Amino acid sequence: MTTPTRAAMKGRGVAKRSEAVKREERTGWTFMVPFCLLFLIVFVVPIIWAIYQSFFQQVATGGGAYGGGTLENKFVGLANFQYVITSKAFWSGIGRVFIYTVIQVPLMIILALALAMLMDSFIVKHVSGFRLLYFLPYAIPGVVASIIWVFLYNQQISPIVKFCELFGLHPDFFANNVVIGSMANITTWTFTGYNMLIFLAALQAIPHDLYEAARIDGANGWQIAMKIKLPNVRGAALLAMLLSIVGTIQLFNEPQVMQTADPGISDSFTPMMMALNTSRGSLTPKGDGPASAIAIVMALIAGVLAATYALVERKVNES
Amino acid sequence: MVSYTKRLFAGVAAIAALGMGLVGCGSSSGDSSASSNADASKDSGEVVKITYMHRLPDNEGMTTVDSIVDQWNKDHPNIQVTATKFNGNASDMIKKLETDVKSGNAPDLAQVGYAELPEVYTKGMLEDVTQYAEQYKDHFAEGPYNLMQVGGKYYGLPQDTGPLVYFYNKKAFDELGLAVPGTQEELIAAAKKAAAAGKYIMSFQADEAGNMLTGLAGASSNWYTVKDDAWVVDTDTDGSKAVAKVYQELLDSKAVATNPRWDPSFDASLQKEELVGTIGAAWEAPLLMQSIGDSGKGNWAVAQVGDWFDNDGKTGPDGGSGVAVLKGCEHGKEAMEFLDWFNTQTDALISQGLVVATSDTDVKTPDSWKEYYGGQDIMAEFVKANDNMGDFTYIPGFSAVATAMTEAASKAASGKGTVADIFAAAQTTSIDTLKDYGLSIAQ
Amino acid sequence: MSQANTMSRQDRRALRKAEKLRDKAANELPPSLRPNKFVKALTILVLVIALIYFTFPIYWAIIASTKSPSQLTNSNGIWFAVGLDELPDAIAKNYAGLLGWTKGKFWRWVLNSLIYSGVSAVIGTVVAVMAGYATAKFRFRGKGVIIGVIMASMLMPAALLTIPQYSIFNAIGLDNTMLSVIIPCCVSPFGFFLGRVYAQSSVPDELLEAARIDGAGEARIFFTIVLRILAPAMVTIFLFMFVATWNNFLLPLMMLSSTDLQPVTLGLYGMVSLATFTDRGALMMGALLGVLPVIILFLFLQRYWKAGLAAGAVKG
Repeated sequence: MTTPTRAAMKGRGVAKRSEAVKREERTGWTFMVPFCLLFLIVFVVPIIWAIYQSFFQQVATGGGAYGGGTLENKFVGLANFQYVITSKAFWSGIGRVFIYTVIQVPLMIILALALAMLMDSFIVKHVSGFRLLYFLPYAIPGVVASIIWVFLYNQQISPIVKFCELFGLHPDFFANNVVIGSMANITTWTFTGYNMLIFLAALQAIPHDLYEAARIDGANGWQIAMKIKLPNVRGAALLAMLLSIVGTIQLFNEPQVMQTADPGISDSFTPMMMALNTSRGSLTPKGDGPASAIAIVMALIAGVLAATYALVERKVNES
Repeated sequence: MVSYTKRLFAGVAAIAALGMGLVGCGSSSGDSSASSNADASKDSGEVVKITYMHRLPDNEGMTTVDSIVDQWNKDHPNIQVTATKFNGNASDMIKKLETDVKSGNAPDLAQVGYAELPEVYTKGMLEDVTQYAEQYKDHFAEGPYNLMQVGGKYYGLPQDTGPLVYFYNKKAFDELGLAVPGTQEELIAAAKKAAAAGKYIMSFQADEAGNMLTGLAGASSNWYTVKDDAWVVDTDTDGSKAVAKVYQELLDSKAVATNPRWDPSFDASLQKEELVGTIGAAWEAPLLMQSIGDSGKGNWAVAQVGDWFDNDGKTGPDGGSGVAVLKGCEHGKEAMEFLDWFNTQTDALISQGLVVATSDTDVKTPDSWKEYYGGQDIMAEFVKANDNMGDFTYIPGFSAVATAMTEAASKAASGKGTVADIFAAAQTTSIDTLKDYGLSIAQ
Repeated sequence: MSQANTMSRQDRRALRKAEKLRDKAANELPPSLRPNKFVKALTILVLVIALIYFTFPIYWAIIASTKSPSQLTNSNGIWFAVGLDELPDAIAKNYAGLLGWTKGKFWRWVLNSLIYSGVSAVIGTVVAVMAGYATAKFRFRGKGVIIGVIMASMLMPAALLTIPQYSIFNAIGLDNTMLSVIIPCCVSPFGFFLGRVYAQSSVPDELLEAARIDGAGEARIFFTIVLRILAPAMVTIFLFMFVATWNNFLLPLMMLSSTDLQPVTLGLYGMVSLATFTDRGALMMGALLGVLPVIILFLFLQRYWKAGLAAGAVKG
């Protein structure tokens, strides 16, 4: 088999090269096709459908008391978007999600990072048991996790409340300003272990000779953690943050389940709840149009947030 | 493209029929005698397939829907029914059915709450079966039978009802020296007396506000009436005023429990005998047994709701459903035939915790219930409440009204709003919802 | 050709050896890095507190799964409501309740869940890695746009696409089939993103070029070399997609009407969403039994996963 050298390949004519470019293009696309086809059916067409729908509302035909027994889709232009943007409930929902994003996400990431650092600090051996148990909540479906916590928050049943009462404390996890914190705790409980694993993996990938060198320079454990480990998990932290923010914007399970214990959590507590409940008809009978409009506005806001975050990240990186 | 499998099946069925030399179309009505329905379909030789979607509990110890249906299938080889249980709540089920109907894929029969029926009709999900319903009229109580009707046309048959009654812990009442209050004044006095002893004889359930409070408030006169094919909405009836007044006073004097009905804390307060009396729908009887547990066995009893809310002694509905024939059903006649049989399987349906909507008032209280409720024939009490139940007409889109009421009620429960606000919210939301639907409202 | 194969086998052996050495190094610390006793005690304390935080709710759920509804609200939350000798009966009762609610199909549903999650995660992982590899290693027209569109779709609340998805699957006659759940779950923009990152960071261009020079076709290069290098990374994507599919209930709720096809979470969701279902002990039992396969899978794949996460996290 003759093996042409790189230099020889480079030396070939322009025509050949464009042939290679063409082949590369073909190969690239071939690998893309399966994903793209599926993506088309599962995402692109439904999204286009949702956008199309967002210009319509359901109206009963015929008017009268009960209508004519059928619904028709009425083109309403941008009325659905107007409804979303002028809706107080929507913006309160966005506000709650924003508070969540600003407080819960960083707290969870810091907690996950701290745990990962402790486990990677060599202070304790045999961390794999801890690692598995920390991760366990991630395997519990969101609805079930929320139910468990609703019990643990309950004034009359919760062993946690009973424990607190030993110290003369009477926590009310459903009190007005506490309830969002209680909700955040469920999310934190579920996802901290997952994020911790990502960080732990990143930490374990750091070459150990770096520590060796630092130690020779006289650095202690704390300094190693701050100067070597932290900068090396930045990438992982960025990813975890971004994913958590996207997840938070779609916050749904926790408030929906906690609603049974606290009817004060309205059907439009978060934008996602508002969208699904609109689509179910428990907020307005206008159908999927307004629900799609909510989803689109949410996606736009999420996009702006994510872009801002990435931009700020980059700025901070540069400086 | 209409359901491929359904079409394919229809095709296969048609070929099979041809092979037997019997070309017959599903509901080839031509027979005049309604009584010989079964024979008529038998004659055609074609097996009719009926699908039925429900969300009955099917819990342990109950006669399951499948086993009832199996019985039918054994006796009716020509009308084969498949039941499917929907594992979700009512609003999920309606959403699912709505998409199913749109894509021509819906089951023939589906459980639909009375409060949801007008909405489901407006959404274009129902098949008019008035011509078949008429003959079964006598099998069902009149009120529920008429709840399966929209604008004079019938869309199915009723299954169960939810008359509101009063559940109370008789033993605790005796210890407190209380009897079931008869009048409004007595109720408030008794509640305050119980509260002084750390007990509640009433509960204000914010999560059930849309169902229970409408039932209580609407028993005197209807919130919604149709005049000249347009809605007249008045949620500020005498009943509403009375409900607002009574509950507000109870809330203000902290003489009412405010645990949400479906929160575990409600169960806990029942078990601790803090909550010793509550208004509830009849179908809650087995649920309460489960929630209170063995410790309350024999202590509880059922009474009629007293004349507490200026309703002339009438009670109101909370829940209850029928089974409707959905659009696209090709065998309306056979579907209704099955439905009539199914909804009159009294004992089996009672085991599911239902107060059946049949005209047959000779219904037996299951032994375990009787034992739990101190030997009382509670089914008789429910039947009595049923007969004494005011009509309530629901508007299309009532679920949105109920949502708004729940939100206002939770504010009232925590003292940030008043009970009267709940009915004000109901008024504005009702009008908004009707407008959103493009329906007429009388000025 | 065969050269490339042996190379990679050697590579893997070396890798494994290095990993072993590193593990050893981690356990045998140089004296200067050994912590003092106070720090050690404090660390253990923190880790144990965290352990209690993460496991106590699960412990509570295990206890709860043996209780009747009234015992659940009435008895001590941190211990069984009945004596240990009566425990088997209590468990049997809730198990019967669970089977009653699921009409004896609980294990069938668990099997369905395994099929949905397993198949969609396998297909989804391969497809995502293929696409990620394509965008990482090839230049082709429209690449930028495609990456942009896929990344942007991560922002779209996926749950809200369920209804249009149902309409589409109905139109092509696939609703109420296993495919109607598997196909939508096969597509994970996040999986694509990870696949791209992994391919960028751990597939050396030189290796690909060498294989091409050896005359290997692109398909062969991908399936014999690239997939092997990316194997640990793929385990990460696989697990992520597996759990996501396992926990998804909205999609099967809309797509499926036949009870024989339902996944286990749909049954659990039914219990949760139905206010009148108060037998929460049976629900807890269902939740725990339904989670078992995921935990077993995790234990099984843990070793690979660790390595896979590292590969993605470095570059992330």
